[in-house]
Amino acid sequence: MRPMKFDFQDFLLKLKRSLGGLKLKLNSGDKTTHMTMEKRRAIAGYVFISPFLIGLIFFFLYPFLQSVIFSFNSIQIGAQGYEMTGVGFENYRRAFLVHPTFSRVLVESIIQMITDVPLIIIFSFFAANLINQKFRGRAVARAIFFLPVIMTSGIILAVENNDLLLGIMSGAIQPDTAAGAVRALELRTLLMETRMDPRFVRYIIDAVDRLYEIVKASGVQILIFLAGLQTISPSLYEASTMEGATGWENFWKITFPMISPLILVNTVYTVIYSFTNPNNPVMEIIKNTAFAESRFGFSSAIAWIYFLVILGILGILIGVISRWVFYHD
Amino acid sequence: MRTMKLLRPSNLSRSLGGDILNLLFLILCGCLMALPLLYTIFQALKPLDEIFIFPPRFYVRNPTLDNFVQLLVMMGESWVPFSRYLFNTIFVTITGTIGHVIVASMAAFVLAKHRFPGQNLFFNIVILALMFSYHVTAIPNYLIMARLNWVDTYLALIVPYFSYPLGLFLMKQFMDQIPDSLLESARIDGASEFRIFWKIVMPSVKPAWLTLIIFIFQQLWTMQGGVYIYSEQLKTLSYAFSQILLGGAVTIARAGVSGAVGLLMMIPPIVLFIVTQSNIMETMATSGIKE
Repeated sequence: MRPMKFDFQDFLLKLKRSLGGLKLKLNSGDKTTHMTMEKRRAIAGYVFISPFLIGLIFFFLYPFLQSVIFSFNSIQIGAQGYEMTGVGFENYRRAFLVHPTFSRVLVESIIQMITDVPLIIIFSFFAANLINQKFRGRAVARAIFFLPVIMTSGIILAVENNDLLLGIMSGAIQPDTAAGAVRALELRTLLMETRMDPRFVRYIIDAVDRLYEIVKASGVQILIFLAGLQTISPSLYEASTMEGATGWENFWKITFPMISPLILVNTVYTVIYSFTNPNNPVMEIIKNTAFAESRFGFSSAIAWIYFLVILGILGILIGVISRWVFYHD
Repeated sequence: MRTMKLLRPSNLSRSLGGDILNLLFLILCGCLMALPLLYTIFQALKPLDEIFIFPPRFYVRNPTLDNFVQLLVMMGESWVPFSRYLFNTIFVTITGTIGHVIVASMAAFVLAKHRFPGQNLFFNIVILALMFSYHVTAIPNYLIMARLNWVDTYLALIVPYFSYPLGLFLMKQFMDQIPDSLLESARIDGASEFRIFWKIVMPSVKPAWLTLIIFIFQQLWTMQGGVYIYSEQLKTLSYAFSQILLGGAVTIARAGVSGAVGLLMMIPPIVLFIVTQSNIMETMATSGIKE
């Protein structure tokens, strides 16, 4: 197509008209149709996005930028609001060099995340595939798999944390309970007999020891995978089965590629959740520094270091996984 | 229709042994997940002396409804009627959930299927928003609420949830998979953008937003919101319960009641879950995406 000449007057007129009535009807017989169509679609884009955008600016972007300023200041709260005194990078220096536990806890929670994420993704993908199949009592099975999500929120969590037995089960009170140790020991000897790499064995044992934690953390991921499995059109399976594909081939050639965008979503979700859930030790440090010790500046600095670390890790993960993601179009 | 059912992936050739293994695995995990629920039920039915037995016991010996009766008495004594707390929670939860699903889906639709300047920047900000720890934004957030005069109103609880980033992220990933040709053909037929969004895009990602409803409902339902709300009449159920239960020294005496509260608070999300999940089943065949 020949590139159109940009007619500014005409564009303004069109802009006014489409903003006025928001009627995005196509004007047939108009020479500049192609161009205004694109413009109109862009305008529609902004209209659709603006409610979310306004909320995001008010409740995220502004507080976000405010916390950058906080992190370079020492903040005193008085009767008339707060006072800031500039301290430069002092807060950041203190986080690494003075705070007794921050660096260690940060490294520990990163290692924890790296161990957990593959287990959670594999487990939830597997579970979602299982409960997506047809069998009697499927609805009940799904509801059971969703229970942990309900149990780990708000007041129910508070009730649970106050409870001794559940506390032991979820490892919040005593990570090495007698029962857990025994179970792991038996498994360890069994696995050692098979002469596998000891590092691998340790990973498996760690996973078994924290099975409850992992199962508990996979509820949302199972649901996302399940929703994804259900948006795959059955006609794809029909066609491939007609051509003689087996279930195994269907799984790898249809299910897996179609679900791959959601593997990315779930990885991002799992990483973010494991870093920002209220029980994460770094989050506890941030909260205590801000609200128990009232050092908001210092707390903001810690939060920013933490944020940048998460950003880096997610950036790497998204970069790696995006290469394998398949989009239908 | 019948042939389609026969050809569903679940009915493809598979060994009996594999089926049994799958079933065993499901049962194992299911038990693991159902244990806390069973325990909460037992805990709610235990009389006080059984709750503090050491070592703790899983089952209940002499089940009693005392805890529920006690809870009723406590709620009856509070000077704001119990129904008011319930109304607050239901109102906040429903408006927040509906608002979030619509606002986030609209934004996700244009992010996934339109091209306009600033699009990528916007999506990146959303991902950043997912990652940032909310404790740090708590104070600036409060200042904003104060400046908008929203402190001590429902708005302070509901509106921030409209632009909760997780929903947009989830919806965009699902909408990315809708073929452009489907939308193009609607456009050629003269459908407006909103009509395309409402009649084509939303129905084809029904599993996604039904799932999103579960998440958001779940969060709003258990939200306490004590930071922004001072008036007793506007407080949520969850907040009222936590005032009763977690008030320092009395915690131990009310351990039984807390079991009852936990059980009651869990029921609505579970019911919602079952309802939405049974809806999801129907959508698969009607999604209308054929390439």
